[in-house]
Amino acid sequence: MIELAWLIPVLPALGFVIIALATKRFKLLSALVAIAAMATSLVISLGIFFEVLQMGITMENPVEYSVRWMSVPGIEINAGILIDPLTAVMLLVVCIVALLVEIYSMGYMEGDPGFSRFYSYLSLFASSMLGLVVANNYFQMFFFWELVGLCSYLLIGFYFGRKSAADANKKAFITNRVADFGFMLGIFFLFYQFGTFNFGELAEAFHGYENIAFLTMAAILVFIGPIGKSAQFPLHVWLPDAMEGPTPVSALIHAATMVAAGVYLLARQFVLFHAAPVSLLTIAYVGGFTSIFAATIAVVQDDIKRILAFSTLSQLGYMVMAVGVGSITAGMFHLTTHAFFKALLFLGAGSAIHAVHSNSIWKMGALVKKMKVTTWTFVIGALALAGIPPFAGFWSKDEILLATKEAGFTGLYIIGSIVAFLTAFYMFRLIFVAFFGEDRTEHEPHESPLCMTVPLIILAVFSIFIGFWGAPFVEHGFASLVYFEHPHHVTPDYMLMFTSTLLAIAGIVLAWLVYGKKVISAEKIKNRFQPIHNILYNKYYIDEIYQWIFDNIVLTIASMFKWHDRNVVDGTAHGISDSIRAAGARLRFIHTGSLQNYALVIFIAIVLIVLWMGMPVLGGIQ
Amino acid sequence: MAEYYLLGVEIATALLGLILLVMGLLVPKTHNKGIANIAIIGFIAIFGVNFLYAGTNASFLNGMYLIDPFSLFFKGLLLIAVFFTCLISKDYILEQGYGQGEYYSLVTFATLGMMIMVSAGDLITFYLGLELNTIAFVILVAFRKNCAKSTEAGIKYVLLSAMSSAVLLYGLSLVYGATKSVLLTEIAKIINQQGIQPLLLIGMIFTLAGFGFKVSAVPFHMWSPDVYEGAPTPITGFMSVASKAAAFAIFVRFFMIALAPVQETWVIVITALTVLTLVLGNLVAIPQTNIKRMLAYSSVGQAGFILLGMVAFSKLGVAAIMFHSLLYVFANMGAFGVATVVGKSIGSDQIKDYQGLWKRSPLMAAVMLICLLSLAGIPPLAGFVSKFYLFTAVIEQGHIWLAFIAIGMSMVSVYYYLIVAKAMYLGQPEEGAEPIKVPGSVQLALALCLIVLVFFGVYPTPFTNLVLDVATAFFPF
Amino acid sequence: MLQQFYAVLTFFGFGIFFAIIALVLAKIFGPTNPTAAKITTYECGLDTQGPTWVQFKISYFLYALVFLIFDVETLFLYPWAVMFQKLGLFAFIEMIIFIAILVIGLWYAWKEGALEWL
Repeated sequence: MIELAWLIPVLPALGFVIIALATKRFKLLSALVAIAAMATSLVISLGIFFEVLQMGITMENPVEYSVRWMSVPGIEINAGILIDPLTAVMLLVVCIVALLVEIYSMGYMEGDPGFSRFYSYLSLFASSMLGLVVANNYFQMFFFWELVGLCSYLLIGFYFGRKSAADANKKAFITNRVADFGFMLGIFFLFYQFGTFNFGELAEAFHGYENIAFLTMAAILVFIGPIGKSAQFPLHVWLPDAMEGPTPVSALIHAATMVAAGVYLLARQFVLFHAAPVSLLTIAYVGGFTSIFAATIAVVQDDIKRILAFSTLSQLGYMVMAVGVGSITAGMFHLTTHAFFKALLFLGAGSAIHAVHSNSIWKMGALVKKMKVTTWTFVIGALALAGIPPFAGFWSKDEILLATKEAGFTGLYIIGSIVAFLTAFYMFRLIFVAFFGEDRTEHEPHESPLCMTVPLIILAVFSIFIGFWGAPFVEHGFASLVYFEHPHHVTPDYMLMFTSTLLAIAGIVLAWLVYGKKVISAEKIKNRFQPIHNILYNKYYIDEIYQWIFDNIVLTIASMFKWHDRNVVDGTAHGISDSIRAAGARLRFIHTGSLQNYALVIFIAIVLIVLWMGMPVLGGIQ
Repeated sequence: MAEYYLLGVEIATALLGLILLVMGLLVPKTHNKGIANIAIIGFIAIFGVNFLYAGTNASFLNGMYLIDPFSLFFKGLLLIAVFFTCLISKDYILEQGYGQGEYYSLVTFATLGMMIMVSAGDLITFYLGLELNTIAFVILVAFRKNCAKSTEAGIKYVLLSAMSSAVLLYGLSLVYGATKSVLLTEIAKIINQQGIQPLLLIGMIFTLAGFGFKVSAVPFHMWSPDVYEGAPTPITGFMSVASKAAAFAIFVRFFMIALAPVQETWVIVITALTVLTLVLGNLVAIPQTNIKRMLAYSSVGQAGFILLGMVAFSKLGVAAIMFHSLLYVFANMGAFGVATVVGKSIGSDQIKDYQGLWKRSPLMAAVMLICLLSLAGIPPLAGFVSKFYLFTAVIEQGHIWLAFIAIGMSMVSVYYYLIVAKAMYLGQPEEGAEPIKVPGSVQLALALCLIVLVFFGVYPTPFTNLVLDVATAFFPF
Repeated sequence: MLQQFYAVLTFFGFGIFFAIIALVLAKIFGPTNPTAAKITTYECGLDTQGPTWVQFKISYFLYALVFLIFDVETLFLYPWAVMFQKLGLFAFIEMIIFIAILVIGLWYAWKEGALEWL
C-alpha cells in the first residue's frame, strides 16, 4: 500500500479536475466524484496505517521515496513521500473528516447554485492538505501549504456576493501571507545553510551543528508559518472571520484539518525546534497564551460559529503548547481527537443553523425537542471538548496537562487548567442557551436529512471512543506510535485527572446555574463587569488595533510608495512600454502585403549577408 | 537488400494518405463524416508504431536516411501535431462541405514530407521531403477556395516558397560543389580537411536563407503573417508548429552536423538573425488586431527563441530546441483550436471579438489563457521551463547579452498575449451573445493541451531527461 | 585565388564595353529615318486581335498535369523494362506499387472530372 501513497493526494486532485472540467452542470455527479475520490484515498490511508503497524515502521525508520521534480543548475528539488506513524495518523484524520464533511455537505449545500464549485474546491483542498501531509521536504510542504491557503481563501469567500465574506477572505489571505513570508524566509535560511529541503537530511544536519543562534532564528521564522496557519496570537484574527464560509468548510478547514497543519509542521520538524531550546520556549508560551486568550473571548460571544471558532483557537493553543513543552505525542493526540469532536460540533452547529436560519445562539433554543440527533451528538461533542471522562477530549487534554506539569511549566499547567474550566463553561453555556431552555426560534426547525445526521453520528462515535487509543492504561496506543526520539510512557496521574475533571464539571455546573436554571442572573454579572465584558466581547480590540495600525501607519507608508511608484517607476515603465508600442506600430508597415516587396527583402537580406560574411573571407584568402 | 522495416513509420503514413484519398473517392459525399476519425485513429496507431522504434539508431541506404533518436523524437512531435490538427479540423472541414478525403490525405502527405525532412541524412532526401511538404501545404493553405484571402495566401505561399526553395537548392548545390558530397556526415569530414572556401560560404548563406524562410526567421519571415491569416485556421496551427519543427530539425542537423567544423562562421550570422527575429517578431505582434496575425508574429518570435538553442551550439541547446518545439506544439495547437472555433462561430478573427469569451465558453477562455501564458513563459506552465532551458543554454556559452535581449523580448511578449487575456476575461460580451458550443473533438484537443502544459510545467523532469538523452545521442560534443 | 577573379572582371568589363561600342557605332554611322512601322516594338508573329488578357480554360492545365504524371512514369518504366530480367521479382513488386500509386492518382483525377472537357 505504501507505494500507492502518492495516489492519496492525486485522487482528490483528479476529482477536482473532473468536476471543474466535466461535471459542473451535474450537481449530484460532482458530489459523487468528490466522495468517491475521497473514499478511495481513505481506503489507501487505512491500508497504509495498518501496514505501518504491521511492518513496524516507526518514527526512527520511516519509509521515504522521491522523484526528481525539477532540476535547475545548482538546485535540485525532489517531490517525495514520507511515511511514518505521524503521517499515517494524520492521513487517516484528514481523510475521515474530509469524507464525512463531503457527505454532510450533500444535504447542507443542497440547492446552492455553487454546489459543484463547492465540491471542486473541497476536493482541491483535500488534495493539497494530503499533499502537505505526505511531503518529505520543505519545498513541497510550502507548495501545498500555499495551496491549502488558497483553498481556504476561495472557500471563505465562497459567497463572494456578501461583503463580509469578501472582507473575511481578504483578511485571511493577508494574515496568512504575512505568516507565510516568515515561513518562507525560514525555509530559505535553512536551505542556504544546509543545501537541502529534505526533512531527514536536515535532521541529520542539525546534529552537532554549533551555531545555535542561527538555528533559533530559523526555527522562529519557520514557527511564524504555524502562527498564521494555526491562528496563534497575534495572527489569530483571521480565523473567527473565516466563519463566513459555508459551515462544512468551517468544520473541515477551519477546525479539523488545515488549521492543524501548523501543529503538524511543528511535530514533523520537531528536531529543529528541539535543537533550538529558545524557540521551544517561545512556542510553549505563544500556545499557552493563545489558549487562555481565546477561551476568555469565547465566554461572551453570541454567534454559535464564533464561539466554536474561538474554542478552536484555544484548543490549537493547547496543541502548540504541548509541542512547545516537548511532547509531540500529546500535541498530535489532541490534534487527532480534536479533529473529530470539533468537526462534529461544527457540523452540528451547521445542522442547527440550517434549521433556524440564524447564527445567533439567542435565536435558537429548545432545539432538543425538534432535532434530537443534532442535539445529542452536539452534547457528546461538547462533553468531549470539555474533557469529561471517558470522552475523547478528556484523555488528550489530560496528556497535555500532564506533559506541561512533567516538563516543569507550572505556570502553563495552571493556565491549561483554567482553560479547561472555561471551555466547559462556554460550551455548556452554548448548549443550555441554544439547545435547551425556551423556544425562541422564528422558523419552525426540523431535523436535518439523513446524509447530514449520519456523519454526525459517526463522528459522535469517534468522539466517544477515539480517546481510549491514547489513554494511559492502553499498551501500544498512540504514544507508542507518535513520539520524538523515544516513546514516552506516561504513568497515569490520578490526582491530575481528578482535578481536571472536577474543573470541567464545575464549569458545566456553573453554566447550568447561570443559563439553564437561571439561579444566577447573567444580566447582572454582565452589568456589574461591564468594562471587562466589553473588552472580551470585542476580542480585546485586537482587530481595531490592527485596523488603526493599518490605517495610520501602513497606509501612510503605502501612499509614499504610491507616489514613488506613480511618478518614478511608472514614468519609466510607461516611457519604455510606450516606445515599444510605437516601435511595433512603425515596424508593422514593413509588411505591405505586396509579394514583390517580400521577395525583394529576402534578396536584399541575402546580398547583405553575403557581403558581410564574404568580405573577411575573401580578404583573408588574399 | 536494404532494411525496409526501418521505414515502417513512413510507409504506414504513406499508406494512410492513400487510404484516405481512396476513401474520399469511394464513400459518397453524404456519408463521409467518418474520414476524420479514420485519420485520427490512423495517426494514433502510427504514433504507436513510432514508439516501437524507440532506441533505434540506424541508417538506411548508406546514411541517406537516418532512423535515430533525434528523428524519432521529431516524428513523434509531428504525429502529435497532426493528431491535434485532425481533431481541430473535424468540424471545420465538415462545415466547408467539400474535400473530406483530399483534406486529410493532404495533411497526411504533408506529415510524410516533414517526416522525410527530419530523417534526411543527405541533401537530396531532405529536399525531396521539403518539396512534398511544401506542395501539400500550398494546397491546404488555399483550401478555402471560395475565400479570396485564402486564395491570395495560397498564391503568395506558392510563389515565395518556390523562390525560397530555389534559393535553398542553389545553396545546397553550391555546398555539394564545394564538398563533392551530399551526405551530411561526409560533408563534415571534407570541410574538416579543406577548411572554409568562398563557394562553401556562399552556399551556406543561401541554405541559411532557405531555412530562414521555412522557420520564418526575420528577414525571411515576410510571408508568414499573410499566409497564416489567409489559411484555414487548423492549417495555420499545423503549419506554425509542424512545418517549423521539421524545418528546425533539419536546420539543426545540417548546421550542427554537416557544418559543425565552420561553426564560428555561421554562428555569427545566426546570432544576428536571432536578435532580429526576437526583436521584430515580438514588437510587431503588439499592434496586431487579428488574432491569427498576432499568433503569426508570435510564432516568428518563438522561432527567435528556438534559434537561441542553435546559437548555443551545445548539447543543452539541442535539448532545449527539442523541448521548446514540442511544448510549442501543445501551446499553439491549443490557441489555434480556440481560434478555429471562435472564428467559425463569430465569423471573425479580430481580437476585439474575444470580448467576454470567458462568459461564452469558460473552457476555451481558460485554454487560451493557459496556452498564451505558456507561450509567454510564465511559471508554472511548461513554456517557462523550456524557455528557461533555452536561456540557460545561451548563458552557459557566455552569450549573456543575448539572454538579456531574449528575456526582455519575453516580457514584451507577455504584453500582447495579455491583450487577448484582457479581452477574454475583463471585457463584456455583446448584448445577447450566446454561449459558444465547442465540438467534442476540439474539447478533447483543448483538454489535452491544457493537461500537458500544466503537467510539464509542474513536473518537467521525465521530459527533460528524455530530451537530454536524445540530445546526447545526437550531439556528442 | 582572387587573381582568378581578375579574368571574370575583365570579361565583365569587356562585355559591357562591347555592347556600348556597338550601340554607339550604330548611332554614329547608321542613317536615321524613322517611320511608324519601324519604331513599333519588335514582336514575333502577327499583331494580336482583341484583348490579350483572356482566361484560359482550366482543363488545359489539368490535362497537362495528368499528362506530366504519366510522362514521368514512362521515364521510370523504360530503364526498368530494359533491365527487367536482371532486376527480378523485387523490382517487379516495387514497380507494381509505383504504378498502383499513379493509378490511384488517375482514378482520383477521373472521378473528380479532370478528364471531362466541359
